[in-house]
Amino acid sequence: MLIYTLKRLLYVLPVAFGVSVVCFLLVHITPGDPLTAVMPIDASAEQQAAMRAAYGFDKPLPVQYVIWLGKVMIGDLGTSIASGRSVLTEVSRAVSNTLILSAVATAIGFFFGCLFGFVAGYYRGSAVDRIASALSVLGVSVPHYWLGMVLVIVFSVQLNWLPATGAGPGGSADWTWNWEHIRHLILPAITMSVIPMGVIARTIRALVAEILSQEFVQALAAKGMTDRGIFRHVVKNTAPTALAVMGLQLGYLLGGSILIETVFSWPGTGFLLNAAIFQRDLPLLQGTILVLAMFFVLLNLLVDVLQTALDPRIQRA
Amino acid sequence: MALKKTSPFLLSLLAAAALTGLTTVSAQAQGVLRIGMTASDIPLTTGQTDQGGEGMRFMGYTVYDGLINWDLSKFDKPSVLTPGLATSWGVDATDKTKWTFTLREGVKFHDGSEFTADAVVWNLDKLLKKDVPQFDPRQSAQGLSRIPAVASYKVTGKYSVEVITKTPDATLPYQIAWVMMSSPAQWEKLGKSWDEFAKTPSGTGPWKLTAFVPRERAELSPNAAYWDKARVPKLDKIVLLPLPEPNARVAALRSGQVDWIEAPAPDAVASLKQAGLTIVTNAYPHNWTWHLSRAEGSPWNDIRVRKAANLAIDRMGLKELLGGLMIPAEGFMPPGNQWFGNPTFKVKYDLAEAKKLMKEAGYGPDKPLKTKALISPSGSGQMLPLPMNEFVQQSLAEIGIQIDFEVVEWNQLINIWRAGAKSESARGGTSINFTYFVQDPFTGLIRHLQCNLVAPNGTNWGHYCDPEMDKLFNDVRNTFDAKEQDKVLQKIHEKYVNEALFLMVTHDVNARAMSPKVKGFVQAQNWFQDFSPITMAK
Amino acid sequence: MAVGALDGKIAIAPIQVSEGYWRGVVRRISRDPVAMIALVIIVALVLMAIFAPYLAPADPVRGSMLRRLRPVGTPGYPLGADELGRDMLSRLIFGARLSLFMGVTPVLAAFVIGSGLGICAGYIGGKLNTMIMRTIDIFYAFPSVLLAVALSGALGAGLTNALVSLTIVFIPPITRVAESVTTQVRNRDYVEAARASGAGGFTIVRVHVLGNVLSPIFVYATSLISVSMILASGLSFLGLGVRPPEPEWGLMLNTLRTAIYVNPLVAALPGVMIFITSISFNLFSDGLRTAMDVRQ
Repeated sequence: MLIYTLKRLLYVLPVAFGVSVVCFLLVHITPGDPLTAVMPIDASAEQQAAMRAAYGFDKPLPVQYVIWLGKVMIGDLGTSIASGRSVLTEVSRAVSNTLILSAVATAIGFFFGCLFGFVAGYYRGSAVDRIASALSVLGVSVPHYWLGMVLVIVFSVQLNWLPATGAGPGGSADWTWNWEHIRHLILPAITMSVIPMGVIARTIRALVAEILSQEFVQALAAKGMTDRGIFRHVVKNTAPTALAVMGLQLGYLLGGSILIETVFSWPGTGFLLNAAIFQRDLPLLQGTILVLAMFFVLLNLLVDVLQTALDPRIQRA
Repeated sequence: MALKKTSPFLLSLLAAAALTGLTTVSAQAQGVLRIGMTASDIPLTTGQTDQGGEGMRFMGYTVYDGLINWDLSKFDKPSVLTPGLATSWGVDATDKTKWTFTLREGVKFHDGSEFTADAVVWNLDKLLKKDVPQFDPRQSAQGLSRIPAVASYKVTGKYSVEVITKTPDATLPYQIAWVMMSSPAQWEKLGKSWDEFAKTPSGTGPWKLTAFVPRERAELSPNAAYWDKARVPKLDKIVLLPLPEPNARVAALRSGQVDWIEAPAPDAVASLKQAGLTIVTNAYPHNWTWHLSRAEGSPWNDIRVRKAANLAIDRMGLKELLGGLMIPAEGFMPPGNQWFGNPTFKVKYDLAEAKKLMKEAGYGPDKPLKTKALISPSGSGQMLPLPMNEFVQQSLAEIGIQIDFEVVEWNQLINIWRAGAKSESARGGTSINFTYFVQDPFTGLIRHLQCNLVAPNGTNWGHYCDPEMDKLFNDVRNTFDAKEQDKVLQKIHEKYVNEALFLMVTHDVNARAMSPKVKGFVQAQNWFQDFSPITMAK
Repeated sequence: MAVGALDGKIAIAPIQVSEGYWRGVVRRISRDPVAMIALVIIVALVLMAIFAPYLAPADPVRGSMLRRLRPVGTPGYPLGADELGRDMLSRLIFGARLSLFMGVTPVLAAFVIGSGLGICAGYIGGKLNTMIMRTIDIFYAFPSVLLAVALSGALGAGLTNALVSLTIVFIPPITRVAESVTTQVRNRDYVEAARASGAGGFTIVRVHVLGNVLSPIFVYATSLISVSMILASGLSFLGLGVRPPEPEWGLMLNTLRTAIYVNPLVAALPGVMIFITSISFNLFSDGLRTAMDVRQ
């Protein structure tokens, strides 16, 4: 187990390295000079050269990369062009907001996903299975940003029950888990939970059905093992996979929140990315993507290690 | 992060919130006003703001003063300049480039330091002198183009400053009204850092910035010691929230998240009225236009194409799109403006004439004119840029002008606008959709078209240059008599219209929607507004 | 992220294409009513896209302000009119062209590139395998929405850039599937037998590997189309895809957003189209998998 964990850790390093290269290159595939946006309009030729040197754009690409990486290692992600604030500050505030949203969404999705998946797998082929399966297919097929709009139309515009935007009356700065703030979380979290719900339900259904069809389970049932015993067996055997899928889904939601956050003006990483893209704020774009991708790499690692620990059946080289 | 909070802590927080709620009811007799802005971020807080006119409205003339301010107390006539931190100003009788400003005595910055002539010079330096420590590229980028006339300036007494202009320029007071006075003492105290200053800024204005979460929220509290007692704010607090998405603003107002929104989506006006909310409008010197490139190769160099485009736009249809919240353009200035004059080219909807002109210019159904326009999805005073531009695109397509859009964010559009049509950042666009503040001669007319104001010296985006126009501009600057100056300005405007120098589309009516609880607001015919007299009914 | 098919661990077993296999597949899938309904809808959508100019009652680009935001059921405007007074029905019909194109093209391109890479890596193995697969791992380390948004954000808005970004998003999962299936097939008895009987490498690839490998990859790729539809329209929704005035469902949703207070039904219509298309592809892909007996 320890050796596996170490191996897995060693394997993460080259991936992380590759991810950092991709993030670094993002700025360089951008059409036009990345500096035009930073440069004062009336910059003279010398000023431009000085600026280029200050940003290190006069050096060859690999050298630039090493310098950039060195800064990233000590937590310096640069300065946002549009706001003049440090990228790290901007991103860390946004990450905590996105984390609130995606954690709650994953939890909701996990609960209903497991529920539908279990029911469908247990009563495979029945009407209940069909309904549960249909719901899970809907979950993976619905354009979720559209669903968000529909929910806003119904619950904010028509019924006026829930607020349509923002992260609470005072913004995210004074986020607390009280009703005033949670009201703002309900619609975006439900919208976001639809995908993990669909994915988890589909996974669990297949898994439960497979376990139930195993010969020894059927043999146990024939021998008069109680339903409760079988249920316990099923739960024990689906838990590791379910948890792993949930972990990955959390990662996907963290990285893929841009559409939902745009619809609901939720001040998280997606909102920040959207702003960075349309302001051509490249340091901010680069920093946000790097942080999110690294988060995802680490989460993947964690999920793998945990799954192996929980489920000794999984043999890995 | 909030996730870590344990439930006992949560309970105590709830209790605390309930208690503060109770106490605030008694203390906040005049209430808190929450405003949904159209900007996507809190405007720059250091003095010269970004985010266009909206930035100055909420973070400029609130926290700061200029030497000269705008009189924002009248709703029924165009607003005029009024003494701010200077009590009087005037040009020298013999040397028309020499101006003297007499400063107000006894004014204190929010940090307690005194406002003197040294502070004025220090603040002009922050914008104009690249080699002084307080030079701030961010503020300079915003303020530099506002004061092109200023050549030099010096302290002539504790409360008097002399400004020398490059050439005689009667429009200097309008220019000086743009310069916001930040506190030198506060900047020194914060380690000479503008980044730190941005977090706890200090000006002389009627409001102090007391809390600030970038991209989300800013709080302004009254400055009880404001020098103009008549303008000491009555509210307890203003909360500014950036809500760039028009739907988000309407939803926030309807659900009571804010009390006031800027530029409600026209589609929502009817439903807002129905829900008992107030829509406030007033004419103001605003112009929504396509600034045309006159650089080599631009199709807009042909006057027939320019006229045809102006005749192709169905402005009444556009008014329908905007729920009636607009004044159709008849020229560059709004109809009825003191500088409108009597242009011979009538800006109206005449497809037949437009098609004829296009044919004369050598275009036709089989040979359409293809070109690119720069637009932004939001922005200060930009009304409903996407559908409006799409409408213009459709109208122009009728006469064979095919427009391809380059959509960029508002602040980025401002940068492209500053860099000029010939710069690489314009990406080959031959027109830029922009909203103009047409409140004073310089920002309203001169800066767009004077030869020497092309980038990097100014914002003649299209690189237009006509000696005849330059001569008229010169006359404005040399005419110190207001009535005579108006006559020259009328001639300029006539030339603007007769030669169809812009694609003249529409003027906004400055719509805002607010809760009926907002009392005492007087909407001035101005880009800026005074928040001091406002109170909140319970 | 949008979407089940892309995430988690993918393990797909190769199939063995024998005589009469395809006839069996057709027979099985034609007996699956859900898959058949989905197929009918897909074919209808494709026909609608192809014959849009004949089907649409009005010009999708020209409108009039006087007719803006007419509700569903207005005479002459069966599905209402949009924010610029353009006929919604015509725009939805024409929208099928770009929306389907944006949804299907990246998957097709990624299918070609990804299968090529994966089969090479799987069949040749060794250093080449390591090189290809480790590079793929790096792109796999990005959540798909993030990668799509980052790439098209950096490249700038536009149809071509959106297609390139989406293709890059779909190459890694397809390559992984292709590699794993090829590796499994390579070690199968029948390939070993062919090799022992002296068949050349090329023949083995052509006869055995391609036949038995491409089908499962293809099934997997069909399941990505629904993801691609949602992602592509999402990019347009953010303003990173198609530009106005082109009719495309995601972009239409974006520009109609201000109208949700006036005419919510009209504003929601483009989303319904995306939904129907996406779910049809998902259901058909499920049916195909069962019929072809591809095991996950």
